[in-house]
Formats: sequence, C-alpha cells, structure tokens
Amino acid sequence: MSVLLSVDRLRKAHGARTLFDLRDFQLDAGAAYVLTGINGAGKSTLMRMLAGLEAPDAAAVIAFGGHSAPLRPYPRELREHIVYVHQDPVMFSTSVAHNVGYGLYARGRHGAEADARIASAMAWAGVASLNGSPPARLSGGEKQRVALARAKVLEPRLLLLDEPTANLDGAAREQVIALIPDLVAEGRTVVMACHDRDLIGLPGVRRMKLRDGQLELKS
Amino acid sequence: MALSEAIAAAFALLLSGDAALWRIVWVSLFTSVTGLALAAPLAVLLGYAIAVHRFPGRRLAIWIAQAALSLPTVLVGLLLYLVLTRHGLLGGLQWLFTQRGIIAGQVLIALPVLVAFTLAAVQAADPRFAETALVHGASRWRVMLTVLYEVRFGVMAAVISGFGRVISEVGCALMVGGNIAGETRTITTAIALETSKGEFAQGIALGIVLVAVALAMNAVLLLLQGDASTAGGVS
Repeated sequence: MSVLLSVDRLRKAHGARTLFDLRDFQLDAGAAYVLTGINGAGKSTLMRMLAGLEAPDAAAVIAFGGHSAPLRPYPRELREHIVYVHQDPVMFSTSVAHNVGYGLYARGRHGAEADARIASAMAWAGVASLNGSPPARLSGGEKQRVALARAKVLEPRLLLLDEPTANLDGAAREQVIALIPDLVAEGRTVVMACHDRDLIGLPGVRRMKLRDGQLELKS
Repeated sequence: MALSEAIAAAFALLLSGDAALWRIVWVSLFTSVTGLALAAPLAVLLGYAIAVHRFPGRRLAIWIAQAALSLPTVLVGLLLYLVLTRHGLLGGLQWLFTQRGIIAGQVLIALPVLVAFTLAAVQAADPRFAETALVHGASRWRVMLTVLYEVRFGVMAAVISGFGRVISEVGCALMVGGNIAGETRTITTAIALETSKGEFAQGIALGIVLVAVALAMNAVLLLLQGDASTAGGVS
C-alpha cells in the first residue's frame, strides 16, 4: 500500500504543555484509521491541523501524493484532496442539495454533471428525501449523513471525520456507521477520531492512539 | 393650531400631492439611499475583515467603530463643512450646500453603524460556517460571501439601522446642505424649519412620511426573514 501523506515534525503546544510532537507521521492510501486517545489528547487538534484549520507550531513539512510543502501556510492544493467533517456538522441555511453541492460550486462546477453527482451522493447517504426540509432543522444523524455526502461528492483522497457518531444513538448512529466502509471501498483514506467500538471494529480499520503526545499504531 | 387640526391639515397636505412637500421627501430618500448604497459595501467588507482577521490595531479599529456610533451628527456636519468649505481640503469639489455634500455626510454617518453591526453579526456567527466552507475548497472571497449569507439578517438589520440613522439625522444635512428649498431641504431639516416658523402641518406631514418609511423598511426585513427557509444561497 502506498503512502498518501506523511508529515515530518508535527507539533502542537498549548502554553508550556506539549499536546503532541509527532515525527514522520504517515497515512497509507486507501486505508481506514481510527484515532483514539483520552479527551484532551489532541485528536481533534491533529485532524484540524491536517485539514488546515489550525497551524502547527514547528515547521512541519507535509508530503501528499508525491509533493512536499511546508504545512504552514497550508498548501492550497491540499484543499482539493482533503475534507474534514466536524463532530457536529453545520448546515448552510440554503437547501440540503445545495449543502451537498457546496464544494462543487466552490470549484466552479455547475450544470448537469454536478447535479448528477449531488443526486448520487444524496441517494448514497439516504438524504434525497430531505431536500425539501430546512437544513437547520435536520436531526443530528441526518446532518452527519448530509455532511458525509457533502464530503463524498468531492471525491477526496483523505477524509477526516471528527467523532462522526459521538452525538448519535440508535438507528441514526448505525446509518452513519454503515456509510464508512463504502468510502474506504472507493479507495479513500479515512481517519476517524472516535471512541465508538463499532467504528473501531469495522473490518480493516487500523487503530492509532494518541498518548502522552506520541502516536501509537496498533494492529 | 390644535394638534388634531394640525394632523388633519398634515394628511390633507399629503393627499393633495403638494409638489414642494414631495420634493423634500424625494431629496431625503435620494440622499439617504445613495449614501447608504455607497457606504454599505465598504462597511460590510470592513466589518467582516475586522471580525475575522487578527492584526495589530484591531482592538483600536473596533473601538473607533463603536465610539463613532455615538458621534453627534452635527459634529460630523461641522467637520465635513470645514473640509468642503471653499478653502477646505476638498473645497475644490464645490460640494458644500449640494446634495453631494449631504450624501458625503450620510456616508460618514452610516459607516460606523454598518461596520459595528456587521462586525457584531460576523463575530456571533458559528465559526464552523467559515471552517466548513474552507475545508470544502472555498476561496477566501467565497468563505466571506458564505458567512455573510449566513448572517444576512444581521447585515440587513445593520443596513436598516444605518438607513434609520441617516434619514433621521438633521445636524449634518443642515450644516452641509444648507436647507435650500427644492435642492438640499430634507425631511428633517424641513421639519426643523417649519416648526420654528410655527407651521406644524407640513412638519407633521413629513413626520408621517418618515414613520411610514421606517415601518416599510422593517416590514421588508420581516418579509425577508420569513422567506429564509426558501432562500437560494451562494453557489
């Protein structure tokens, strides 16, 4: 399996406390990972850093798809390939379809092809019937599925999911979990920060644990 | 003249289509809307930029915007008068006692209101809107448009507050405009003049127009809020 991403010297400190200091952090292409660790270990911070939402402290260098660049400032081209989904995704107050197509529109892709991709992603996530509903009024599970469709439609090479099932229970949680293997089967690298045993137990998922500022890869 | 008689005379004046009265209304609306239209894009950009960017002097910029809210319009008028007067910095423009001069004053009066309200609206916005836009590949401009769309009612409230401030101010319009009949006489300067002459009917008639405009603006905002669920968005 080829390496999709590697970062040399990924460090973050809050004041005098070092949250983590990772050397030669790597993710393989087409692999699924769960990132575990106690609350405050820095799981979300690590994901947000890879998504360019937080800057690393040290002069980290990221290699992605064969190209190397400093991680700070965040390389614009990474936005084409990496999508981050919040623990509690926010919906734009437009329509469900517009939310799903947001990234396509941002890339200047409109028309029949974009519409077909949006419809396909909505059908995949089981949210096609929600298009008439105001996005803000969707349930937590529905929002998470719309957010997954919004990410999937862009066909990212790396998908970062921050606690995708943390606020869900019952059927809503199961519906979200059922979507994850499809993303991996499409060849995307998926990293999920979570404590959910069902996500951790998905076939083929590798386990990483952030502990004492270091990353342990578990089999 | 008793109040009831003055009100009756005011309505009669409004319904009669009095040209001088409706000219005053037109000058007021034209200068206010133009001033607001000129100030709004810059102010919204400034308000957004101050809200989302961290830069040296940011707190000073916020303080100035908020302090300028309570700046008396007559003082704005005085400063603008000194700038526009024949020997002033911009005296060559010959805008003193013209509608352009009033519009310049309206821009200066509306700017801090629009900046402060936009700043507050953007600061109150959920930061995940900007983050979600960013991680889905939006450019900085698109992120800004997306966030402004999400706080559009706050921005609209800013515009309506700005409009309320410029159309109801009297000090600046009086000093810079000169209250010239048919040219720079606005609703507020006319009310001040007519009241000082003891002519209450026209003052009340213009006051009714002012209240009607304020009610109409707020009704528009309410209607737009009502349509929020069917809005189209930035695409």
